[in-house]
Amino acid sequence: MRRLVLLLAAVLGTTAAAEPARLPILVPVTGFLSLEGTSQRNGALLALRQAPAGLAVSGEVIDTATAPENAVNALLRALDGGPVPAVVAPMLGTQMLALMPIAAEEKLPLVTVSGTASLTEAGNPWIFRFFPSDRAAKEAHVRYAVERLGRHKLALVYQTTAYGQSGATYIATAAKRHGAELVFSEGIDTGVKDYAPVLKRAMASGADALLLHLHAGPTALAVRQVAALGLTLPVVAGSALHQPATAALLEPRELKGICAESASSPVSGGSPRLEQFLKDYRAAFGADPDAYALAQYDGTEMLLDVLAHGARTGEAVRAALAAEQWDGVAMRYASNGHGDMAHSVVILCYDGVTRVPKVVERYDGLDAAKPD
Amino acid sequence: MAADLLGLAQLLLNGLALGAAYALVALGFVLILNATGAVNFAQGDLVMLGGYVAIALSRWLDLAGIDLSGPALLPLVMLAMAGCGLLFSALAWRPFRSRPPIFGLLATVALGLVLQEAMNALEGAAPRAGPTLVGTGDLRIGPFGLSRSALGIMAAALVIGLAQAWLLGHTQFGRRLRASAQDPVTARALGLPVDRLIAGSFALAAALAGAVGLLLSGPYFVTPSMGNDLILRAYIAVTIGGWGSLKGAVAGALLIALFESVVAGYTSSVAATAALYGVVLLVLAVRPAGLFPEPLGRRA
Repeated sequence: MRRLVLLLAAVLGTTAAAEPARLPILVPVTGFLSLEGTSQRNGALLALRQAPAGLAVSGEVIDTATAPENAVNALLRALDGGPVPAVVAPMLGTQMLALMPIAAEEKLPLVTVSGTASLTEAGNPWIFRFFPSDRAAKEAHVRYAVERLGRHKLALVYQTTAYGQSGATYIATAAKRHGAELVFSEGIDTGVKDYAPVLKRAMASGADALLLHLHAGPTALAVRQVAALGLTLPVVAGSALHQPATAALLEPRELKGICAESASSPVSGGSPRLEQFLKDYRAAFGADPDAYALAQYDGTEMLLDVLAHGARTGEAVRAALAAEQWDGVAMRYASNGHGDMAHSVVILCYDGVTRVPKVVERYDGLDAAKPD
Repeated sequence: MAADLLGLAQLLLNGLALGAAYALVALGFVLILNATGAVNFAQGDLVMLGGYVAIALSRWLDLAGIDLSGPALLPLVMLAMAGCGLLFSALAWRPFRSRPPIFGLLATVALGLVLQEAMNALEGAAPRAGPTLVGTGDLRIGPFGLSRSALGIMAAALVIGLAQAWLLGHTQFGRRLRASAQDPVTARALGLPVDRLIAGSFALAAALAGAVGLLLSGPYFVTPSMGNDLILRAYIAVTIGGWGSLKGAVAGALLIALFESVVAGYTSSVAATAALYGVVLLVLAVRPAGLFPEPLGRRA
């Protein structure tokens, strides 16, 4: 099947294989999502540096900042430069929603690490997501609290942003599905500095576990306040905590016993390929990678493999991405028929001694089926 | 009942600590407003810059083997930021001083964005933890627990606020600054160096911002975009306190922080925010000039 698809891709290709393929990298490297966007960019660039032998490919990074219109302008600018077989697209959900109609019109695959669940549920065949959707990530988030920790009265503190509200919806759904009760749920603005009031009320609700679904800085603030208040109930945070830059804000003792969901935890190592990725990333960028970097690295690697096998048009690339499997560094990727390529989520926990977490649980096969 | 009262007192203490930091931002905001008549929308970004300056200074001193941290770092950060304030006035105010105030306002917005993106490029978008003023950990005062950081913020805000009030009210510089702010034409005619005095007020406002940056960077972290939230709070504080009033700015800042802490503690942070804006509307309706209206002749 793989050979057949790639042969088809080669036949459909209209540009000579020897000609450099353009792979624009449209990512938010400025604005409030620039931490995650920089990781996304670095992952794509590292993959490009390690492009398969014989494949000539050029990548141009265009900043999309955080406004949807910026992303649209960036894509139009990229298309003005000539034909492109695919695009590394921004991880910001609202930007992806703005790009999707253009992708359909231009027959252009968008490879993203956005978690916004609705992206792949709109019937647009040009979207390929290499990061677990919110639907899958929050399923693991809740399952860990309920199944592994045996907690059934959950308190949720989430961000009032689109990211936070989307995740909160899926947490509520998953909690209900797993027989747990959400005894406390509150949205918090990103500008809030004092988490003591909300944490005290969460405790007063009778919750036996605390779930956090916050951006990086607020996650660190909340975890610090949990430690300062001496709260003893288990805390399971969102993927922001797995980012080395977030953990670096906290003392190891403040992180003790805190867990988080993520697509992967590159700094935790665990396999020769992961160790090699870690080494290469550190050498290239002088920083530790996070799961967004690794997911975009894996997604771009798969894309490059498809290009190396001759695909040169959007349609050819789309067909290959939709039909192929890819053994990435973080996990095995394959489309569920809707462009969701990632179906595994890990839970990692901090031991109070180092800022490098240990992966304690892995959930595979999440979101592999058609969304309900 | 006793537990309830203790809980309330604890929330009040937390609110006072946060309010002290907001008050310093608002004081810097009022200073420029009084000196130039223009709103400095970059005051929050200057706080952000102060946080990064504190981190950089701490790092350099550490590399140089100089063990200087805590309160000793504070004057250094304020001095460095005063220099940044002079540069800021040269870029955001001086070229537009003879234009309508909207030019100056837009210039501060633009420079604030430049600062944000410059720090984004230089230091990255990840939140950074800065040096702490008085160490970490909690102190018990009777039944209350308060972090050392919070106590440091309150103490520093009190000292800096009083020093500013003394500087403006009881020194030659303060008197001249107020005179030039009230009537720059007459002040010039009387031979006062109005431009230099206004540049001085920018330096002072930036020094205040530097102090807040240092105070907040340890417990609350620094990010390139952190100034956006702070300037919004400063603007609200000054609006409900009374434009141009130092006393009003402090009162407004404390009110905001108490909403964030006490009201949020008994309702939710979203409800507290909604209630705060409700109070803002009420104040504007009942006392359009703010809680502490400042007579024009006494401004600055």
